[in-house]
Amino acid sequence: MRKSWSNWFALAGAASLAALSMAAYATEEIKGGAAAKAGAMAPAPTNVTQDLLNKAASDGANFLQTNGNYAQTRFHPARQINTGNVRGLHTAWIFQTDILDTLETSPIVVNGVMYVTTAFDHVYALNAKTGEQIWEYKHKMGPITTYCCGPNNRGVAVYGDKVYLATLDANLVALDAKTGAMKWSKLVADPEKGYSETMAPTAVKGMILLGTNGGEYGIRGFVKAFDAETGDLKWTFDTIPEDSKGVWATKDATGRDMHRDIAAEKGAYAKNGDPYKTLGGGVWQNPAVDLANNRIYFVVGNPSPDLDGAIRPGDNLYTDSMVSLDLNTGKYVCHFQYIAHDVWDLDAVSPTVLTKAAGKDGKMTDVVLHAGKTGHIYVHDAKDCSLIRFSEAMIPQENMWTLPTKDGARMLPGANGGVEWSPIATNPSMGLAFALNLHQPMTYHVDSSPYPDGKLWLGGAFKVIPTEEQWGQFVAVDYNTGKIRWKVKTPEPMIGGALATAGGLVFAGEANGQFKAYDARDGAILWSFSAGAGVNAPPSTYMVDGKQFVVVGAGGNTQIDAKRGNSIIAFSLN
Amino acid sequence: MNHRIAIWVIFSFGLIIASARAETIEEKAAVCTACHGEKGVPVDKSIPNIFGQNEGYIYIELRDMKKGARKNDLMAPVVENLSKEDMFALAAYFSAKPWTDLQQPRAGAADVRHFESMATSAGCVGCHQAGYIGAGTQPHIASLGYDYLVKTMLDFRSGARANNSWMKDLLNTYSEDDIKQMARVLAGM
Repeated sequence: MRKSWSNWFALAGAASLAALSMAAYATEEIKGGAAAKAGAMAPAPTNVTQDLLNKAASDGANFLQTNGNYAQTRFHPARQINTGNVRGLHTAWIFQTDILDTLETSPIVVNGVMYVTTAFDHVYALNAKTGEQIWEYKHKMGPITTYCCGPNNRGVAVYGDKVYLATLDANLVALDAKTGAMKWSKLVADPEKGYSETMAPTAVKGMILLGTNGGEYGIRGFVKAFDAETGDLKWTFDTIPEDSKGVWATKDATGRDMHRDIAAEKGAYAKNGDPYKTLGGGVWQNPAVDLANNRIYFVVGNPSPDLDGAIRPGDNLYTDSMVSLDLNTGKYVCHFQYIAHDVWDLDAVSPTVLTKAAGKDGKMTDVVLHAGKTGHIYVHDAKDCSLIRFSEAMIPQENMWTLPTKDGARMLPGANGGVEWSPIATNPSMGLAFALNLHQPMTYHVDSSPYPDGKLWLGGAFKVIPTEEQWGQFVAVDYNTGKIRWKVKTPEPMIGGALATAGGLVFAGEANGQFKAYDARDGAILWSFSAGAGVNAPPSTYMVDGKQFVVVGAGGNTQIDAKRGNSIIAFSLN
Repeated sequence: MNHRIAIWVIFSFGLIIASARAETIEEKAAVCTACHGEKGVPVDKSIPNIFGQNEGYIYIELRDMKKGARKNDLMAPVVENLSKEDMFALAAYFSAKPWTDLQQPRAGAADVRHFESMATSAGCVGCHQAGYIGAGTQPHIASLGYDYLVKTMLDFRSGARANNSWMKDLLNTYSEDDIKQMARVLAGM
């Protein structure tokens, strides 16, 4: 972190960078719309059918969804680049966006056309073979944007003849895939109340599914389904039910005591009622979709205010939970809560994965994986959401669950986790999940304050302890046993995402600009590249004209203050 | 005449003129520039420069002052009769102006080092963005006036400025010297 700060000042100087970033921000004041460039060889966009999306997991040519496919395995069948030849991987092209700022986009590739997004909600369509721009959409941002962790965007969804973007000013926007022109825009929720969008939407069965940020602002979270054609609302699931008190659980998912004062909470509940209206419960990442059973699985984030539990008595359902809904109706099916009445913001963010693993009886069964900010990977029975097992702790845990204090209580993991929003990758034949870890010792401070009407509402503070070392780690966990197979330490905390391929590889980037290919079997580093800015975005892979490419964004990250850049970099062999 | 009275006189004069025929956005804005400066340089160091400040932030502060969540004797009569549309219009008007360079000196290397450590610990850029220029409802704080920065941070800490509990909690973990050091670095950016 300190290193990146000194780079910051030394390389550009605060003033000149401020000017650059200001220019970048000002661009969204320019009228939205597309500047189509008719590249001579630019591929034409494909009509993305439901059938194409259904087959994404076995589609070796495309990268159709944010996490690869509906099961969100981030396992891609392409194997041209493999453990035997990855040493020869080199840059095929670099595309530089207009926005020099935090970059979390998951590149989507459909038949030679790539869609990427940037901070402040620009979208680019690129020729996936050459990196040439086809069109750019600059979102005309409304004046009110309320977000805690950087002006991020994690990518688009493609469906039919449209590209879907969710924006910081809490709109869902449909673009013409051919030109980038806006077809329609729908307000999802009031940004003045703390709602904002950074996730990529999910397109399925004529619907666009979307969660919301705002768990730090006293929102009432939701997942909504919109009609893909018209943008009309189809259903809403409130992540906070009107009765949010739950069962007054005293232990977390791993059986550890959370030191709740249940009597005091019950008294506050009786006196003040249910706090559901401002209880938070954002949904930061995409749901996994089970089309066979018509269900979705996603995780719900922290309660509001983050650190002060006194004014929100009860288990705060369904915060810090994995939740399953009926896809058609948005009706509740089941949930599992990891931490009831969380006062550490060690919530559930990283996207769920549907796969098969050993069940409670040892037989292979349908499971849902989630990598928690606690540092465990949780394995659930997909039928009823119940917990089958949790992995060994991937990173140091100390003093769990010490309650926050006025002067600050030290506890590990720090409030970024564990595992942050970063999607895991899996290799189903190996039974491994690959996760990006952070180790950031922090102190947790509590201070009660009333609901601030849509303002940041943490009920205290968490602070990185400046004298303690921070680091990251890339880990492979056997989800059939919960044992760690291998782990590789990195010099800085990791945020971004992983990609696994049938070539026996796993790819992940680091805050110092390194982008690496690991051997999925043992974590051996087989290849690395220095991108010059933080690689804090999930990689994708695809094939064009018989050649496999791996692509990743290198634009740094606000949350861990990794050096900013503006590059989309594609790699290939020869 | 001390500074505060002088500001009051200038401001009252502006308010009288404006309230007589406050029609256009320029006329509405004249009330503001009476104190915040016609060319973006405030008439007193305790007053922030608002030229080029982020639109959402200006709106939210006007809103909070009207609601009483942020208390300010000078601003109270200004915001009293502003509609939501007025507040958005003023926010758009001032945010479109170029940021004011107050020509403040760069902080020394020792200040910068300490600042980096504090800013990393507190995660300042998480809200204030790279370069401390903010965005949307988050304020631009790089190169704001030193005196205003110190006053604002101390007011957050004491609770005198009560419309951001997070800033209160965060700044309460720092000493007055720390805060002055932060202000020196930010002012000199």
